[in-house]
Amino acid sequence: MRQHLRHGTPVPVPLTPAAADPAEREREAGVARLFELHYASMLRLAVLLGADDPENVVAEAYYQIYRKWRRLRDAEAAEAYLRSTVCNLTRMRIRHLQVARRHVEAPSTELVASAESTALLHDDQRVLIDALQRLPARQREALVLRHWLGLKESEIASAMGISCGSVKTHTARGLAALTQAMEARR
Amino acid sequence: MTHRDATPSPDTSPHRTERELQQALAALAGEVHAAPDAYRTARGAWLRRERRRRLVLAVLIAVVFALATLIGLWVLNQTPAHPGVIFSGTAASLPRPHP
Repeated sequence: MRQHLRHGTPVPVPLTPAAADPAEREREAGVARLFELHYASMLRLAVLLGADDPENVVAEAYYQIYRKWRRLRDAEAAEAYLRSTVCNLTRMRIRHLQVARRHVEAPSTELVASAESTALLHDDQRVLIDALQRLPARQREALVLRHWLGLKESEIASAMGISCGSVKTHTARGLAALTQAMEARR
Repeated sequence: MTHRDATPSPDTSPHRTERELQQALAALAGEVHAAPDAYRTARGAWLRRERRRRLVLAVLIAVVFALATLIGLWVLNQTPAHPGVIFSGTAASLPRPHP
């Protein structure tokens, strides 16, 4: 990562922070470059995974990588680490909301956000996205990583921290549930 | 839900679902746009959190150091003021070994 950043494309001036320490400057420039390259796709990943506050989830993921910058191997590792962190943080956030909702009877913000974000979709697509959001978190993650990012099973397994066999199981079960939902609608 | 329960009936089309899912995900992702000042906002938050983390760490180290110093001083203050048995300086305190 460091070699790559030293000789890579220079970061645009507005994003370049002013830091006195060279190592600090390198870290700031590296994170700024990562932000420029992957922020939009990470934000979309968080939305597709069902996060109610995707900006915060992605900002937290970037903060994690900002703190652990010196332990990173290379740019590929940074992207994979970001992807994995976004998946984990979204899962934790959804679980937290589910627990909070069990204790406090309040209107569901997740459903409102989902309805707003799916307003421009076709009816079939909206039904499919709703069915996707109702799937267990692991199945949803596996399907989004497979069918939106087009990752291989090994990459999905690495991002989710599970085995390739579990990825196959989650993908098959999720797809079967979605197929059932769509068949019931037809 | 078991795998057997979730298996679609023979007339269903998982491939069609896969295709529709890809289209729906692409359509939903296409509606998501990043805010133009997202980096500045996020960086401001990181720097604030980093400063707070370092401050908390420094305070914690100072508290532990102060506590250790105070405990040490207290322990030293508990030593008896009168001369002890071992370091009394009198020759009769310990029996001499016979040759």
